[in-house]
Formats: sequence, C-alpha cells, structure tokens
Amino acid sequence: MPPEETRILVVDDERQIRCMLKTVLSGNGYDIREAASGHDTLKQTQLLHPDLIILDLGLPDLDGIEVIRRLREWTKVPIIVLTVREHESDKIEALDAGADDYVTKPFHMGELLARIRVALRYAAKSEDEPLFTLGKLKVDLARHQVAIGESEVDLTPTEYEILKFLALHAGRLVTHQDLLRAIRGPQRKDVHYLRVYIAQLRHKIEEDPNRPRYIVTEPGVGYRFGAMD
Amino acid sequence: MDNLSLGVRPKMAQRQHMDIVRPYVWTALGIALITATGKLITPFFSPINVAFLYLLPVLLGAVYWGRGVSLFGSFLGVLTFDFFFVPPVFSFTVSDIRDLFTFGVFLLVGIVTGSMATKLRNELEKAKEREKRLEALYSVSRQIGAKADLSEMLKTFSKTLSEAIGGRIALLMPAMHNTALREVACYPGSMLFSDKEKAVMDWVLEHGRRAGRGTETLRRASPPIFPVKADNETLAVLVVDIDSDEPGLPPDRQQAVEAFANLAGVAIVRVRLAEEAEQSRWLAESEKVHRALLLSVSHDLRTPLASITGGVTGLLSEEDVYDRKATRELLDSIRQGASRLNRLVRNLLDMARLESGTLRLNREWCDVQDLVGVALRQTEEILQGHKVDVAIPLDLPPVKADFGLLLHVMINLLENAGTHGEENGEISISASLGNGAVFVSVADHNPAIPRDERAHVFDKFYRLQHSGSESGTGLGLSICRAIMEAHGGMIWIDSLSGQGNTFTFALPMEEKPSEWEVEEGENHAA
Repeated sequence: MPPEETRILVVDDERQIRCMLKTVLSGNGYDIREAASGHDTLKQTQLLHPDLIILDLGLPDLDGIEVIRRLREWTKVPIIVLTVREHESDKIEALDAGADDYVTKPFHMGELLARIRVALRYAAKSEDEPLFTLGKLKVDLARHQVAIGESEVDLTPTEYEILKFLALHAGRLVTHQDLLRAIRGPQRKDVHYLRVYIAQLRHKIEEDPNRPRYIVTEPGVGYRFGAMD
Repeated sequence: MDNLSLGVRPKMAQRQHMDIVRPYVWTALGIALITATGKLITPFFSPINVAFLYLLPVLLGAVYWGRGVSLFGSFLGVLTFDFFFVPPVFSFTVSDIRDLFTFGVFLLVGIVTGSMATKLRNELEKAKEREKRLEALYSVSRQIGAKADLSEMLKTFSKTLSEAIGGRIALLMPAMHNTALREVACYPGSMLFSDKEKAVMDWVLEHGRRAGRGTETLRRASPPIFPVKADNETLAVLVVDIDSDEPGLPPDRQQAVEAFANLAGVAIVRVRLAEEAEQSRWLAESEKVHRALLLSVSHDLRTPLASITGGVTGLLSEEDVYDRKATRELLDSIRQGASRLNRLVRNLLDMARLESGTLRLNREWCDVQDLVGVALRQTEEILQGHKVDVAIPLDLPPVKADFGLLLHVMINLLENAGTHGEENGEISISASLGNGAVFVSVADHNPAIPRDERAHVFDKFYRLQHSGSESGTGLGLSICRAIMEAHGGMIWIDSLSGQGNTFTFALPMEEKPSEWEVEEGENHAA
C-alpha cells in the first residue's frame, strides 16, 4: 500500500475511464483527483501538486503533447501517458516532450499499477543504489560486477554501460536515443548498433534469449529493464 | 511534277530547280546518243527506222518524268532527226514534203504516248498513296484490339495519320461529359489554338459535322476540323493542319482522315466499354467484400461482446449465487472476450491502414530473435498452455523491415496457431537463411488445412469450411500477406496431414550496414 497522501491526477475526457481508474486506484490506496481537459489539468496541477499524472492524449481543448510540454516548463511530476494512440511516432513524441511512461489502451490494470509504482519510486529516489537485483541477475554498480546467481558474467565496456543505464532506470521506458546518448554521446544515432549490443547482452544474461525477461523490447521506442516488478 | 511546293522554302529552291532541269538534260543526252547510234547505222537502215528510235526517250521521259519532258523529247527528237537525217542533211530545211508528214505523225505519237504514260504514272502514284493510307488504317485498326490505354492508343493514331497524310494532327476530347475539350494527342509536337479555333472545335463537337477550311462552315476560322463519332455521338474532334494553298484537303486525304476518325471513334467507345465493365466488376467485387466484412465483423464483434455482457450482467444481477471459483471463471471469460475484441480491432485497423494506400514502411534493421521475443510476450495470454519451441540460429543476419508490421505478422501467425487447434498444442518457431532470403516459420500440430483450401487461406474474410476455431476473423492471414507484399517478401503455407500446418514468410536479404559488425575486442575487466 502506498502512503495515503500519494495523490494521482487522472486526466481523461471519458468519464467512464476516469470512474474505472478512480475505483481501482483508490482501492489500491491512492488519493485520486480528476480532470477532463487540458486547461483543467494545468490548473489542477498548480493547485493540488499531485505526485503523479495519468494523462490521456486526446483531450478536447489541448493536445496531450502540448499539456506535457507546458507542465514540463515548471514541474518534474511523473507523467504516465494513457492513450489509444499506439503508433511509435506518437510514443516517441510524448516521451520526447517529457512523459515518463506510455501505456496504450486497452491496458492491463496490473501493468498500469506497476508503471505507477516505478514512476513514483524513481521520482522519490535520491541517490543511486549501488547494488541492483532482479531475479537471479545482480548488477553491482560500485564494483562494476554483473552476476547471474553465483557466477560472474563477462561484459564488454559498452554492454556494461547499457546494462548499467537500464538498471538505473529499472522498470522505466528507456528510449533508443536515451541509451545511445548514455553510451556514446548524443551524436550517435544508429539504432541498429544498439540492437547488436542488446542481442549480445541478452545472450549473456537472459536464461532464454528467445523470451527475454530482463531486457524487454518496446517496439519502435526502446527498452524496459524488468517489465514487471 | 509536283509544282505546288515550288519555292515554299527558299533553301530548297535551288535543289528543286536542279530536280526540274535534270530530266530535260537526260532526255537531251538520250537524243544525242540515239543520233550518234543512228549515224553509225544509217548505211544499213533507212532513216525512217532511225526515226522510231527517237520515240524511246519520249516514252521513257513520259513514264518517269511526265508530260513536259515527253513533249520536250518529241520536239527535240523531230528537230534532231530533221537536222541529221533528213536530206538535205545538216540543215533544217526539208526537201521532200512527205517528210513533213512523218514529223507530224512522230509528234502526234510522242504527245499521245507521253500524256498516256503520264496519266498511268499519276494513277500509279495515287494507288501507292492509297495503299500507304490503307496500310496505316489497317495498322491503326489492329491497335484498337491490342492497346488498352486510350491515350496511348490515340497518340499512336495521330502519329500514324500524320505520317500517312503529311500534316499535323491533333485530337481533342472532353475529359468528361459536358466539359471543356482537352488535347489528348498531337503529332508532331504540340499545337496552340486560338479562341477562334477553339470555338470551331466546340461547334464541331456540338453538331457532329466538319468545319473549318474547305467546308461550308467557318472556313476562315480554322484548319479543317473533323468530328470523331460513334453511335451518333460526337466523342472528340480531329484537327488536320496541312501546309497547303488549296482551300481544303484533297478528296483522297479527306477520305483517309474520315476513315481514321471513324476508327478513333470505335477505339474510344471500345475503351470506354471496357472501363465501364471493369468498373462494374469492381463494384460487384467490392460489394461482395463489403457483405463479407459486415458478416464477419458483426459476428466477430458480437461474439466476444456477448461473453463480456453475459459475464458482467451475470455477476451484477445475482451477486451471491457464484462462489469464488465461478466468479473467477466468469471474469476470465470476460477478459478473454475483451482481448479477442482487441485483436479484431487491431486487425481491422491494420487492414484499413494497408488498404488506404498511405502506408509508409518504416524500414529498419530488425533482429529476428528480438521480433520473436516481443511477439511471444504479446501472445502470452492466448498461447497459455501451449508449448512453444524456438530455434533461431545465432548467426542469422538482421532483416530490413518495418518492425511494427513484422511484429503483427508474427503475432497473427502465433494467434492462428494458438486458436485453431486443441489446447496445449505444440508450436515451433524457426528461422533460417537461404537463397538470399531470411525465412521464418511458425509450425503447429493442428489439423492440416485441406489442399483445396490452402490457396484461399490468405484471402480476405476466408474462413476454413470445417474450422473448429472460435476466434478467426478471416483477416489475420490476409493482413500478413499484404504486409509481406509491401516488403517485397512472400508468405505461404505447407500442410502435411497428421503433422500440422507450417506458415513461412521470407524476406529478401539486404546488405548489412557495416556498423552491424561492431565488436569490441577486450572484455570489460571487473
């Protein structure tokens, strides 16, 4: 159960969706506020200071992307986009504008709850944890060590950088560009270059590289480390 | 001789001048030769025999060059004969009055044969011209059957007609009924028309009669303009621009143009009929597809909706009747109905996207293993209980494709394998490289699709005749095929009874980018 004061602003012009989300999220212990339009969202965010915003992109007055841009001018509040727009370019546009995560409708409630937890935890985190564990995988950032169970895994520097960046953003959607920036500086733009390393990395750390569990591909957008928590 | 074109073009004048003089020179030379020969043989023949020889250049001149040359030959012949052979020799005086009679007969023979030969020659030339036009007409009429594209055909028409009658031809047609005339063909080059000429064309189109130069109507306003008619409807107008001083077209050319116009009319009607037939066939086809779509969509939408509505209303109306397990089952069927609806919507959207013609492939290098991984993740629910085997060679090169679309192919194939057979079936995914292509297969152990149905499984809305499946939309495989075709790839099915069905898609291999080879030598030291 999250602390009682965790406040989530649910933005959707469909009352049905707002009601359903309110029921489920309240049931999970969150304090839910609602907004039905872009301007309402901007106003309520200023007034209520929510801890997280669940934002629909298809709003009647302002486009959701515009709402994200205006919010990002002054606040770092985590924004999870919840929309029917499923095209890769829409996802990338929203993430570039500053959204933290992207969930398409229809969605699994379990998945949305997991994303909410990840976003809140990431926002609250003050400093990097030196040791990261997911299932059998251990990433020791302090000692630059990666292990599966008891056996250590040998990684190339680039593989390690990728894994480190993913682990630091565990559960979050990491775009190709984020990763490329992190490992090679912003001038590299070749996504297939990244894919080679991800494939190599999977062969070293995944139990079954055909069914990756640690590094999950988000088609056309990027990767997510440890999809569910 | 064709004197009409004399002096039309100054540059040509000199050459034409030469052309005109040359026959007379040849005739004179011929006569000189005969005179020399005559002189040689006079000891053995009488002069009257020599006189007949002088008919030769007259005849030849008439046949090859016409009346003028033959007359010239006649007179020159008589004079030469008189001078060289008639006593007193080497003088034009005639001593015997009977020789004057011979001259008269000779001249008469020369003139008559000359004019007859000239007539013959003209007839021959006309016949040749006619034959040329007939041949052109024939070749055009053959094209009516052979060419499907109207504008291409009319262009060839104009070219052939222009070459046959020697002039510039333009064909103008209204784009649709009651719209302005538009040039559809012009040969050679193109023509610009004045408002006056356009007005004449409109008149021709409206009245279906000839107008312009050489006709009763608007003769000063434009070159001759012919209507192109079929079934009493004027379909187009034909403009014939001939460089000529005559008021209209010579009758034989006019006939040729009219014959062409008739053929053009037939051609236009024929193409129109073909287009209409195609249109109505397309309409019938699309109506069939529409009906199938409605049938399919209403069935596929209502079935999952029914399971959702049924489950929910059941839970709502009598809350206390169901124990935990029954409630769970109802909720499960609701969830399944919803995800089936979601699949249907995805396929319908895909179909709409693929058929809108606006689809742009976002081609990038795709790792097949990654593709399979994502597809398996997204079909987890529907493949629950199935054993899925994956065999992808480590060194399989990447394919250049739209990852999102390829993912939908993979998902559709997996869903098919998962829903068309028994539960807990086995599915194997494999990939291989060969013949310059990457092959990816999804094999199931479901009942083999009958041979006669295999060809149809990729058709839109096709459902297997005796399918035990509950959730096929008849869309999935047709979407797969459309996506593969958009990629220049292929998809097909192999079925073996008792072993199941294998769907395989192949994507052409493309050259790898050099970056794909990036490797780092040293491993990260701990």
